[in-house]
Amino acid sequence: MVDVMGPDLISDLPQSIIESILVQLPIRDAVRTSILSSKWRYKWALITQLVFDDKCVPFSNDREVVEMSVVKFITRVLFLHQGPIHKFQITNSKLQSCPEIDQWILFLSRNDIKELVMELGEGEFFRIPSSLFNCRKLTRLELSRCELDPPHSFKGFVCLRSLNLHQVLISPDAVESLISRCPLLESLSLSYFDNLALTISAPNLKYLYLEGEFKDICLEDTPLLVEISIAMYMTDDIAEHFEQSSNCNFLKFLGGVPNLEKLVGLIYFTKYLSIGIDSVHLPIMYHNLETIELYQVNFEDTKEIFVILRMITSSPNLKELQISGSSNIPVAVDAPDLDFWEKGCLLDSALNKLKTMKLSEMGGWPHEIEFIKYLLCRSPVLETLSIIPCVFDMENNLKMLIELVKCRRASSRAEVIFIHE
Amino acid sequence: MSETDLAVIKPEMMKPYVWLQTSDDSIQQVEQEIAMFCPLICQEIIQKGMGSSKNCAICLPQQVSPAMLSLILDYCRFHQVPGRSNKERKSYDEKFVRIDTERLCELTSAADSLQLKPLVDLTSRALARIIEGKTPEEIRDIFHLPDDLTEEEKLEPLRNITADPRIRLLNRLYAKKRKELKERERLKNVEVEEEHVDDRSVDDLLSFINGNDGDPKGVKTSKNKKKNRRKKEQQKNSSLKEASEVNKKEVNGHDIRHQSSEAEIISETSYLHYAEDDAFTSKPEFDDGDIDDEIDPALKEKIDREVEDFARRLNSDWPERMQELLSSGLDLEWNMEMNPSQRLQQF
Repeated sequence: MVDVMGPDLISDLPQSIIESILVQLPIRDAVRTSILSSKWRYKWALITQLVFDDKCVPFSNDREVVEMSVVKFITRVLFLHQGPIHKFQITNSKLQSCPEIDQWILFLSRNDIKELVMELGEGEFFRIPSSLFNCRKLTRLELSRCELDPPHSFKGFVCLRSLNLHQVLISPDAVESLISRCPLLESLSLSYFDNLALTISAPNLKYLYLEGEFKDICLEDTPLLVEISIAMYMTDDIAEHFEQSSNCNFLKFLGGVPNLEKLVGLIYFTKYLSIGIDSVHLPIMYHNLETIELYQVNFEDTKEIFVILRMITSSPNLKELQISGSSNIPVAVDAPDLDFWEKGCLLDSALNKLKTMKLSEMGGWPHEIEFIKYLLCRSPVLETLSIIPCVFDMENNLKMLIELVKCRRASSRAEVIFIHE
Repeated sequence: MSETDLAVIKPEMMKPYVWLQTSDDSIQQVEQEIAMFCPLICQEIIQKGMGSSKNCAICLPQQVSPAMLSLILDYCRFHQVPGRSNKERKSYDEKFVRIDTERLCELTSAADSLQLKPLVDLTSRALARIIEGKTPEEIRDIFHLPDDLTEEEKLEPLRNITADPRIRLLNRLYAKKRKELKERERLKNVEVEEEHVDDRSVDDLLSFINGNDGDPKGVKTSKNKKKNRRKKEQQKNSSLKEASEVNKKEVNGHDIRHQSSEAEIISETSYLHYAEDDAFTSKPEFDDGDIDDEIDPALKEKIDREVEDFARRLNSDWPERMQELLSSGLDLEWNMEMNPSQRLQQF
């Protein structure tokens, strides 16, 4: 029977296009194309990217059943696959640590793997086999809920550009040496690490994202850093360490990042930077810093305010400022030290590029109001100031509004937007 | 490039138009700025100095017809304006790919030949969206694909080019089970069918597992020995074939298949397992409920359990088991008198 359909539209396209199409299909649909026609029988087996997510096998409420079928599916796909595999990703919440994963990683290490992403389900942490460290061509590694133990002879991933470890059990020395042995590393993300004192030495690093209980962060050799985002959690241990510390954290952290463009600090970051801030004499200039976002700032602590002002002074090209107060502070018993603001030497120059300011979780405390006044007077090109008050205290909100209305503004175009639920 | 070349090219670059020749040999005049968005054209202009006049028009690849060129230039014209927001670009892209499938395929091909990667990605994504979630018949319909795989081929496992003995063992078990179920079917039928050539080779390969259990042909020791020898040869042949195929790197489905039907039978049988929820699996896989109507459920269950048990054992203690298997001489010294369950209990 002859079809009077017309010429085949797609089977003779070059493999690079077919790959481009198949890679944008869910893996099941891609594998099913083997049934379309004789030409399509093995086209799927040549794709270089394999992504297995929660939808790659049919849904079932029984986790073990799903896990079994995921394992079977992935094993079969790998065995039937031909050619190099450049990207392998598993983000499946039903899959937990199981012995087959060792074999998959061994297989991948022999097939030129470049990008490996493994995000397994909640449960026992999977212990990454040593064959991972033989993946010489690895450019991107992203692991979640695993145990990583590099062998002593490990010389590093020479091609690695992006490292993302989330809830990974690894010794602090191993982390540091892993980072320093990857010369091309551009993007580093470490989250949910406990009690870590980290020194980062990565000459090509551009993006840094840290989240966890860090005792100490020292950016030793990171001249090319462009974007930093840090969330520092507190434990009693760390609090003690802070109190006893005699370092100047501001210098240790921000001393060697002249190319910084964006800084985001969360939770106790500002507090961390405030330690030893008094001893900073010479200003360090950040000519490229355009965005500063600091959350959970304790406005009762003048040192933390000083940190912010210090940062702002050092950033002549700052365009966007986002500060979030802390709704956690106990009400101050003593009168606030408003002399701090009278000192005058804090900020002489104007903020000539500041266009947007956003202040949230504002409790209407005296220091906060002074801070706003202070900035309003010194930002000639300000366009928007948004204030989101803390919802708890209505009376204070009103007081804040009254004070703000009185404020002198350097910018005639400034809009003060008070966002009230 | 020498100084003189540069001096010659520079004034040319100032000209706002380039001349492009499409697949039908017609020549068009196009704004240079827009045409340069395509890497191939850019290369031709800068490296070879072409396109400055009608006489030295840049010859575009034959995938680029005038209609396609016009579409591509529209795309370039929109995107090369720097001021557009991401939202605007996305929205334009969505509308741009709302064309019929045939033109979409042509466009992908043309964009690829001009090395315009963003457009290739866009059109591929559109084609992927067309393919996603459709049945094979629908897909064949849309793209005019010939339905040239036989029913058997569609269900036949894809060639497994792994030499992993553990997987081959498991595959043999699965194949054995499939064969046994076929045997049951045949027993129900009154006529005695001719032995297929295929069956024969399956027999050879599986005889050491099969033994006396339910084999209607009646296994005799001498016959087993013969089978055993033949099976050894087959094994050698197929593993050699497999090795040579790996070396050949021949991807064309036809060639690989024709070379080793035996290897196929050993190969991964359950590739369709994960697709068993699909509509197009017409012939039941051995795991399906359909085929169970005619088979003694107790026996089937027994076989099921054996296979699962075996698989589980393999999965959990592979290193030790492999040692045992290898030392006991997996392929050669299986006791022919034992039936499958006894043999399994060896482990």
